Amino acid sequence: MKIRNLLSAAGIAAMALSAGQAFAQSVELSFWSWRVEDKAFYDDIAKDYAAKTGVKVTFTPYKNTEYPTVLSAALAGGGGPDIIHARAYGALATLADAGYFLPLTKENVPNIVNFSDQLLAGAKGRTPPHNANIYGVPFATQALGIYYNKSVLKSAGIETLPKTWDEFKALCKTLKDKNIACLSNGSNDVPGLEQMFGVIGPNFYGGTAFFNDVIAGKKKFTDPAFVQAIAETAAMKDFLPRNHQGVGENEARTLFANGLAAFYMSGTWNIDTIRTLNAKADFGIMAAPPLKADGAAYVSNFADGNYAVNAKTKHAKAAADFVNYLASKEYGRRFTDTLKQSSAITGVAPSEPLLVALGEQASKNGTPFLMLVGFRYQNPNGSVMLRDGIQKIIQGGTTPEALAQEIQTGIATWHKFQ
Amino acid sequence: MSSPPLSRTLWIAFFVAPALALMAIFMLAPALAAFSYALYDWKAFSRGDFVGFKHFIRLAEPPYRGMFLAALGHNAITFLVKLTIQNGIALLIAYALYQRPIGARFFRGTLFLPVILSLVIVGYLWQLFLHPLFGPITLFMMDIVGLEQFAPLGDSRFALATTILMSIWRNVGFPTIVFLAGMNAIPDEIIKAARIDGANDWQIFRRIILPNLGPAFTIIVILTFIGAFEWFDLPFVIGGATGNPANSLDTMALMFFRLSFGDTSSPVTDVGLGGAVSVVLFAIVLAGSKFGADYLRKREVKA
Amino acid sequence: MITRALKAHTPFSMLLMGLLILNTVVVLAPLGVAVISAFKTTGEIMASPFALPSAWAFDNFVKVWSAGRFDRYILNSIIVTLGAEIIILVTSAMAGYALGRFKFRFHGAIYTLILMGLMVPAKLLLVPLFIQLKAMGLLNSQFGLILVYAAGGIPAGVFIMTGFFRALPDALEGAARIDGAGEWTIFSRIMLPLVRPQLAIVAIYTAIPIWNDFLFPMVFLSSPELKTIPQGLSVFFGEHAVDMGALFAGLTLAALPLVLVYLLLSEQFIKGLTAGAVKG
Repeated sequence: MKIRNLLSAAGIAAMALSAGQAFAQSVELSFWSWRVEDKAFYDDIAKDYAAKTGVKVTFTPYKNTEYPTVLSAALAGGGGPDIIHARAYGALATLADAGYFLPLTKENVPNIVNFSDQLLAGAKGRTPPHNANIYGVPFATQALGIYYNKSVLKSAGIETLPKTWDEFKALCKTLKDKNIACLSNGSNDVPGLEQMFGVIGPNFYGGTAFFNDVIAGKKKFTDPAFVQAIAETAAMKDFLPRNHQGVGENEARTLFANGLAAFYMSGTWNIDTIRTLNAKADFGIMAAPPLKADGAAYVSNFADGNYAVNAKTKHAKAAADFVNYLASKEYGRRFTDTLKQSSAITGVAPSEPLLVALGEQASKNGTPFLMLVGFRYQNPNGSVMLRDGIQKIIQGGTTPEALAQEIQTGIATWHKFQ
Repeated sequence: MSSPPLSRTLWIAFFVAPALALMAIFMLAPALAAFSYALYDWKAFSRGDFVGFKHFIRLAEPPYRGMFLAALGHNAITFLVKLTIQNGIALLIAYALYQRPIGARFFRGTLFLPVILSLVIVGYLWQLFLHPLFGPITLFMMDIVGLEQFAPLGDSRFALATTILMSIWRNVGFPTIVFLAGMNAIPDEIIKAARIDGANDWQIFRRIILPNLGPAFTIIVILTFIGAFEWFDLPFVIGGATGNPANSLDTMALMFFRLSFGDTSSPVTDVGLGGAVSVVLFAIVLAGSKFGADYLRKREVKA
Repeated sequence: MITRALKAHTPFSMLLMGLLILNTVVVLAPLGVAVISAFKTTGEIMASPFALPSAWAFDNFVKVWSAGRFDRYILNSIIVTLGAEIIILVTSAMAGYALGRFKFRFHGAIYTLILMGLMVPAKLLLVPLFIQLKAMGLLNSQFGLILVYAAGGIPAGVFIMTGFFRALPDALEGAARIDGAGEWTIFSRIMLPLVRPQLAIVAIYTAIPIWNDFLFPMVFLSSPELKTIPQGLSVFFGEHAVDMGALFAGLTLAALPLVLVYLLLSEQFIKGLTAGAVKG
């Protein structure tokens, strides 16, 4: 009897709380994200959208390391925001397969025709029936490359950019001898290590051909070319900045933006952040130099993430309408012009020259960002094993061969190899 | 004012029921449920088929075996370091305070201050001091001491030791107070008599004070054990759910959390395997504290 | 007063004094530098990490207060801690009274149950509690979190209170019974006032871990407006990655409420927090 009283008291309190939220005003949409850096942009979008439609959107960014936990806990609990800033591929698929997202179609989001099938592939579930549906509107495509700080190179007396990988390494050596950090990347930033691999690796493992072969199970991760790709990435440890063991993404960007390192291997999403950190920074971005001067210089690229709608939202119509707006060319233009990232919307060309330059490279030799695109669908997760493993090699805990074997064994538990 | 004459039994039930009900619903029921979780397959947080000991077997095989043993090893190292260094320091400070020096209250008050701080605050505080670019200690070590590299929290060789040191900094006040209370409980007459017999300070410490601290030692050893094997907060604040750098801060509790709720790049949850880790962890803590307590109590009597 | 001490000013006693002073410095210096740094800019911190700020400007605090929603976090922490404490104190005083003053059937069994409750590692209940709170509609609700914390604090509360009630003399209760006082009157008017200091111990012992916890709020409360201080601080750190001055200011603000209370009540805190480990 006591228990029942307690429970009913609990129930009443809970109802009072949720009622307070549900009937507060007309329509308010909550929108969660990990993009702390873009809060001002989304707040602006929300303001203009409210002026136009009367629908209020509240953007809440979380610390990127906590976001997945907070989000998956909230969704599993039957709550969470109306609009979800979700990742793509495996990270989206696991949530989509659990039924947390509302399928998006031509009916509820007409602007979905603005995206290529290739990009929408990153917004699908993995297991039937979810693999037939689209669960998100892609917001950006990202490419990985090497940022170079022109003033640092100039002051070091370097006039031309390296044409081959060996030249790049020689240049790093020269800079190191002059007491200039070649790279600003830190080995504390494990996702960043995977991005370094994404910059360096494809030239060694052979880009898209290798990707297709491992997806088809025709090649294994123990392939010597893949082992070498890991080894070349880890060999960068000689050119990392002082205290690289403690340097994460924030510190790496700060070092590069302030001219304390010549190069920074990262993705296109950091162009705007680097400018924010130092408006005077004079930098460019290039693909990793090919092995031979006339060889292919691969650029890893991927659909960054998606705007998804919570399946449990109380405002499905309003949420889908808002996402439809986020799929419009008008929004895509504003997105790429303000945030200096490539919009995922077909026909919205970037105005940022650095994006245009790397984009041309990518259109010739673009290749899927290996683990993120292909092997994040289950545990053990390819990205996690690769990035933690590279960190261990740098810190002296394992070897490229052992890591390749570990990745092969781990992924073979859920992916078919011949 | 007098209440209606209810029978004594009903009154007792009335007094005990609220506490028991809350405990039953929000502690015992979930605890029992937790044991069953390892025996099922899970899709996110929905229970699937009964799979027997499958998840325990997965835990005992690669790739999870290595991860689990490494985490367990980190717990064990933490226990040993805290057992010796933290409690050694605590014993010394307690003895110093036991002398009732000038300012004893002040010393005691400052000593205990970090104990009340949230581990989030403690973790971030030291992270800022050890920041690789701007940290005051980092700058001191590089500019003044002249080290080439100083990033202990990012270096897998030093990260665990550094994090344990932080934990000692935060917690050492606790065993100190317990030891001090143990010392203060020793009747002054015994000490006085020994002094009259010509015993020196060291003899008094070794022959009278230490043996009388038996019960305090038992409690502290057990609490250190439980704390070290359930260690979660500080490694999580410093190294996130994966125990960065290079999993060097991974603990059993962190592994349980990561498997149950996912981590940064993989929201794939594995509640069954996480459940298996939690059962093993609980068994270790329970067995360790039981045998430890029995053994230490026996020694107390002998001493 | 007996001095069990060492004779004053022996080299050994000087050594012990030195140890105490060293320890105090080790504890206070980091906290002091953190507070000082909160008044500096990142540039100043880099240039002279341990020096006093060139000006005692509150810019960082203003920035933190306007950006961080610390007022909200502090209020939420107070709501959750206070809510749980009220339940813990009322229920453990009642149960402790029954267990300490009466002999009845199941007495032993209930007491054992309470002791078992002390052994349950709360963190491992994360998943079942999550699923259960969801089923009860208490996820993302401060009330749900309060009930979980209350249940976690009750075993210790009952354990401590039972011991104290048991130690109270029988005379008072006997006299009241002869006067015909009812059970509730005896409990609330006679017994409860006698254990007020012990209730304070229970309150401190159980409240500090609740105030400092970040795991349960992180998992059980997803709405940003419900965040408590530790989680709010973590969000704040994510947003101000390399603004060292602001980070130190945020840290100072987050620690301030509890440190202030501690400065006023340090003896009670020390007694309260070691209550489980130090007997009587």
